[in-house]
Amino acid sequence: MAEPTAPAAATPAAGGSPAGHLTLEGLTKTYPGQHGAAVRGIDLSVERGSMLAVLGPSGCGKSTTLRMIAGLVAPTAGRVLVDGRDITGIPVHRRDMGMVFQSYALFPHLDVARNVAFGLEMRKVSRSERARRVAEALDLVRLGHLADRRIAQLSGGQQQRVALARALVVRPTLLLLDEPLSNLDAQLRGEMRDEIRRIQQETGITAVFVTHDQHEALSMADRVAVLAQGRLEQIGTPEDVYERPAGRFVARFVGRANLIEGTVAGADGPRTVVELPGVGRVSALGEPRPAGARAAVLLRPHRIALAPATADGPAAGVPDGSSAAPLRGTVLSAGYSGESLAYRIRVGAAGPVLDVERPAGPEATHAPGTEVLLTWDASAARLVDAAEDDRAGADSAPGAADAVPAAAAPHGVTP
Amino acid sequence: MSGTATAAGDTVPGPKGGPRTAASGDGARAPRGPRPGRTALFLLAPGALALLFTYAMPLVWVVRMALNEPLDGGAIRQTLTFGTFTQVLRDGHYWKVIGQTLQLGVLVTVFTLLLAYPVALFLARTTSRWRSLLMALAVAPLLISSVARTFGWMAILGNQGLINKTLQALALTDGPLPLANNMTGVVIASVEIYMPFAILAMISGFGRLEPELERAAASLGANRLAVLRRVVLPLTLPGVLTAALLVFVLSLSGYVTPRLIGGGRVFVLATEIYDEAITSLNWPVAAVLSVLLLVLFGIVIVLYQRAQRALERRFTGEKGASR
Repeated sequence: MAEPTAPAAATPAAGGSPAGHLTLEGLTKTYPGQHGAAVRGIDLSVERGSMLAVLGPSGCGKSTTLRMIAGLVAPTAGRVLVDGRDITGIPVHRRDMGMVFQSYALFPHLDVARNVAFGLEMRKVSRSERARRVAEALDLVRLGHLADRRIAQLSGGQQQRVALARALVVRPTLLLLDEPLSNLDAQLRGEMRDEIRRIQQETGITAVFVTHDQHEALSMADRVAVLAQGRLEQIGTPEDVYERPAGRFVARFVGRANLIEGTVAGADGPRTVVELPGVGRVSALGEPRPAGARAAVLLRPHRIALAPATADGPAAGVPDGSSAAPLRGTVLSAGYSGESLAYRIRVGAAGPVLDVERPAGPEATHAPGTEVLLTWDASAARLVDAAEDDRAGADSAPGAADAVPAAAAPHGVTP
Repeated sequence: MSGTATAAGDTVPGPKGGPRTAASGDGARAPRGPRPGRTALFLLAPGALALLFTYAMPLVWVVRMALNEPLDGGAIRQTLTFGTFTQVLRDGHYWKVIGQTLQLGVLVTVFTLLLAYPVALFLARTTSRWRSLLMALAVAPLLISSVARTFGWMAILGNQGLINKTLQALALTDGPLPLANNMTGVVIASVEIYMPFAILAMISGFGRLEPELERAAASLGANRLAVLRRVVLPLTLPGVLTAALLVFVLSLSGYVTPRLIGGGRVFVLATEIYDEAITSLNWPVAAVLSVLLLVLFGIVIVLYQRAQRALERRFTGEKGASR
């Protein structure tokens, strides 16, 4: 474990593979008797030593994708390549993948050390070498003192660590994690998130983990692949996915979002000006679109600044000039959650309702019913598709649920 | 065995002290758990009474009978002596019977487990939509009386039976294979008769077997044989143990199959008890043999509980054995 890479069985293809350590090519899975494919032609690659998060709502095919990489599910079409070598036909037990299951799947009849030793025994590693590596792996996950415990005697977090140690001790080519944190309580989840990231970086192993939690994906991974209905919606760095979502689905699934529908009015240099009913003209960044086309503007709740509307102009401290002229709005509700305040604000008299999130403390709290001015930084407004081509079915996205009313409101205003 | 005792129990009234001891023994067990309410006691009463009259009283009566002395011509001298026990235990014939009973039990248990395990494993793991149907099929033989099934086996295994006739018609054997009227036939028929019980007992004990554990083992490099040996087998052991107990106890007390297929040549405790009680009219000896069979059951059950507890400790890791 101490020495970073050196995968046991991977035979690097001649010429290496600049494409990546793990590559998926048109990976597809169709279950017989099921309408539509569970996974539809996924192409992606993961760089050596990096961590990829596969993010999506339940039923989007992310677990199936992971299981196809592991060899637990046979793909209907497409290939899985490791170091450029096609491993699609290789059975699970010869794939050399370290897998951490959502349920941990620890062997209840073996103690902690024997659980961790299992993969080494299967690889016929000598007894002394086995003992050394098991101790090393348990130290890595900080469980050295619990080696002779039974699984039933461990807490959820400890079981998670054993599962990690068991997967890592064989020095697998890849580390695969299926919803690794979903069975832990909130505090442990944060702790294990850092722990998994630390271990992954310490061992330098290439890792793929599946999650439905955007915070996990954004905070742990080098790159995030967003899946919806079996399709790869976007793959990129956490910043890419969050700041520059490829579409409505990604915008709403990754983070909270205000999506305001409108019509493209024209271009303003690299920016696009969109006419938003009830709001006015807003310029947004994004792929240019022809005038007259339908489009939506994405505004993240925490990127919108608020100021009391009592003054004639924008209040001090609100960035001016670079943003659109301040909008007037009425606070409908203000929810306090300790670290932040979540406002719902109606723009103008009959405009859309926006979610706004402000840090609690330094700013004055705006009571419901008061008038406020809304401003945002020029880079905060992003152009995305209008609702018509909402193929991803964002209604299934739990993270987007609270943003839906805001996005839905303009429908009533648009002609 | 208990049938004989019950039938006889009608003619000779049991000693008065016996039933009361058994009843107070039952009553003493109740306060151990959470205190049962009035309704619970009321609901328990019919079952407890039925058990008292059909089980506890005849049992006490059997033990009492074993302490009597048999006289010639089926007469019994009421006394309190271990003389009949000594007489039985000194007789080599009875030891042979006990030996054959145990031999039959072991053989039947081993073969039943070997045949039932794959079926139970398949039924427990399958996700087929035919699963319920297959389960029903596996236990369907229970719908037919074991007497009828034993007669069926006689028709198959006998010298003029299906197997021997076929073999001879194909000129594969000179004479008939000795498949009936011996231990072989009794084992074959018993295995088939007890398989449904074994399958049910196994499946109910396979709760720890999760498909994800097999996948985890495979992902760690275990081939199918290793998965079976290192994961499936240990996790299904509790079910196998329960099935073993059930089949062993059933075959120790089995009467119909050894009697019919044994053709009077396979002597086991159950048939011997019947012969002593009905043919020889020697009730004290029949009672002694019944008590010996009960002692065997007791030993088997204690061994089973120890094994089960040891297995349980493997899973929980707790040192102290609790009930």
